[in-house]
Amino acid sequence: MTQRKIIHIDMDAFYASVEQRDNPLLKGKAIAVGGLPEQRGVVATASYEARKFGVRSAMAMKRAVQLCPGLVIVTPRFAVYKEVSRQVRSIFERYTDLIEPLSLDEAYLDVTENKQQIVSAIAIAQQIKSAVRDELQLTASAGVSINKFVAKIASGMNKPDGLTFIAPDKVTAFIENLPVEDFHGVGKVTADKMNALHLFTGADLKKLDEAELTKLFGKHGHFFYKIVRGIDDRPVEPNREIKSVSAEDTFITDLSNIMELKEQIERISAIVSSRLEQNKYKGRTITLKIRYSNFRLLTRSYSHPVSISDRETIAATAFQLLVKSGLDNVKIRLLGVGVSNITELDGAAGNAQLSLF
Amino acid sequence: MKFIVSSSSLLKHLQQISGVINSNTVLPILEDFLFEIEDKKLTIVATDLETVMRVQMEVESKANGKVCIPAKILIDSLKNIPDQPLTFSIDKNFAIEITSDNGKYKVMGENPDNFPKEPVADDTNSFTISSSSLLTAINKTLFAVSNDDLRPAMTGVYFELHKDFIQFVATDAHRLVRYKKTNVKCPKEDNFIAPKKPLNLLKNALPDSDDELTVNYNASHLFVTHGSTQLICRLIDARFPDYKVVIPTDNPYKLLVQKSDFQSALRRVSVFSNKSTNQVALSISGSELQLAAQDVDFSFEGNERMSCQYDGEDLQIAFNAKFLIEMLNAANSDEVKIELSTSTKAGIIKPTEQAEEEELLMLVMPLMLNS
Repeated sequence: MTQRKIIHIDMDAFYASVEQRDNPLLKGKAIAVGGLPEQRGVVATASYEARKFGVRSAMAMKRAVQLCPGLVIVTPRFAVYKEVSRQVRSIFERYTDLIEPLSLDEAYLDVTENKQQIVSAIAIAQQIKSAVRDELQLTASAGVSINKFVAKIASGMNKPDGLTFIAPDKVTAFIENLPVEDFHGVGKVTADKMNALHLFTGADLKKLDEAELTKLFGKHGHFFYKIVRGIDDRPVEPNREIKSVSAEDTFITDLSNIMELKEQIERISAIVSSRLEQNKYKGRTITLKIRYSNFRLLTRSYSHPVSISDRETIAATAFQLLVKSGLDNVKIRLLGVGVSNITELDGAAGNAQLSLF
Repeated sequence: MKFIVSSSSLLKHLQQISGVINSNTVLPILEDFLFEIEDKKLTIVATDLETVMRVQMEVESKANGKVCIPAKILIDSLKNIPDQPLTFSIDKNFAIEITSDNGKYKVMGENPDNFPKEPVADDTNSFTISSSSLLTAINKTLFAVSNDDLRPAMTGVYFELHKDFIQFVATDAHRLVRYKKTNVKCPKEDNFIAPKKPLNLLKNALPDSDDELTVNYNASHLFVTHGSTQLICRLIDARFPDYKVVIPTDNPYKLLVQKSDFQSALRRVSVFSNKSTNQVALSISGSELQLAAQDVDFSFEGNERMSCQYDGEDLQIAFNAKFLIEMLNAANSDEVKIELSTSTKAGIIKPTEQAEEEELLMLVMPLMLNS
């Protein structure tokens, strides 16, 4: 395969920036787009002003308000974000059709061959950023490199409004110097585990062979092995269909208290629900993933007769599944909630079935 | 403890009750069978905490004793052993050694004292019903039971006991089946909801014969005994919806169709329906019934027409074809009568001929026609 040119574009604080753009009163203010704290809402996006106080995505709104007392909470307008996302996409389409959206505010572009025969991927990234600024009054950060993994990390390096290029001959050094917690797919818990094993950077991971990595990190071990050697052949897939939407969290300490578990399920379900609603998706099947303290994994799923996306139903179903899995003397280190059997909401296939009760 | 048993007979007994065991349970002991020998009688028990099933068989043994044996590995091994006597030897650490003509197999058992205790049959009431009658009642209702755990009352079959008849009712809120059986006597008016899983297990365990079954129940459990096989299950602790009020009493339009013709037409046309709704629209006018399905996303379209007897005003109404097909299956007559009113109200399906001691009534709610 010839050397590819991949750009990862990430809109800066997307929902919050759209809100600040459309409502001048919010400009320069600490705002968070998401659900209300009294309804156990979570932060979908926080503006940079709010991030200074430590407000982050997926945080409980209640906690966000504690951290940042003057926080302005804005109810999301997903229809608007979807429309803006479509406008951003139309800018991408001036350069390539190989666009893989990851969500409304993030996408990979393969510009190895592009419609305007521009040789430099950096130039394309610059043009896209200018177009986004001039036409949409929003900022985006771009990462440019030879594969998806490096491009994505690069885009996050100089946020907001950044452009980071990792040259082909610098990729190896870049990954070797990369702290493990910045690896895509490494969360806090995996990072702690790696640190405990004295694995702090890509270079440390590179010292381990594939078998050792797989033994330590399961199927991700294989991915880590290739990635630290700069190998990432995953193509930019324009038509990747979303098959499921999920979220999960590993707890700092294992949980066994039913009320705590319920709270976590509600929090995770809220994230899943907002991701579904962003894309106007609904799904029928709810899956609960439980990892016990002894690493035993259990997944349980339940299919509703009709498609749903609301937080209450997702949480209630997941909680039901949790209760059915048995809660006597268990310690749980991870919970995940997923929705699959996805249908897009735009169609006519809603709840046409009438009910007796 | 030591006993000798025929491999094929043991397998047959285990398979009668192995359906109780869930494949992925949190308590490892629930993946075991409890073996208990008393006076050369082996009792085997399986449970998932909600349902308990037990069978008994004769074995050769000198002493009494108990042990828990992992179910999957035992069944897998028995399936591959040709019919012969097997010797089971269990030591005090519950290690099990099975000796056959071909060799020796070892598996670790578990302490039988940790096996969940069976619920006790206190304060029970009882009635008797023939095995085939209970089987028919299950077959005619179970398909309509809801899978919606958020509405637990509908996840089982409602047994409504009267002095000289029993009504079995199942619904998933979109359709409802009521099967009435008259030649049974119950000591008192009563009711309970039996969950889906044990009823499914009974379906496989009960013979289609006139054998009399004793059905015991109390406030929390149901106990069904047939010969040496017994099933105990926890009843659903919820209030069944007031189904009587949703049964229309005055649907004015009557449609009479050949059951098998209608069912085949629905099967053919529904292939072209939207897969999330299975919607088939019926247009009834004079003596003609038209069926139409479409899936706009894929440009699929299916249309058929068939003759019928219809007494009523021209009507367009849509149903989930899967529901209709399943309900027609439950009707044992050549013709069915469908009583309708408007396109948004429940339709009633009845067989035109029924045995004297039974009465089947089915309700189905339409789909909204998006015009």
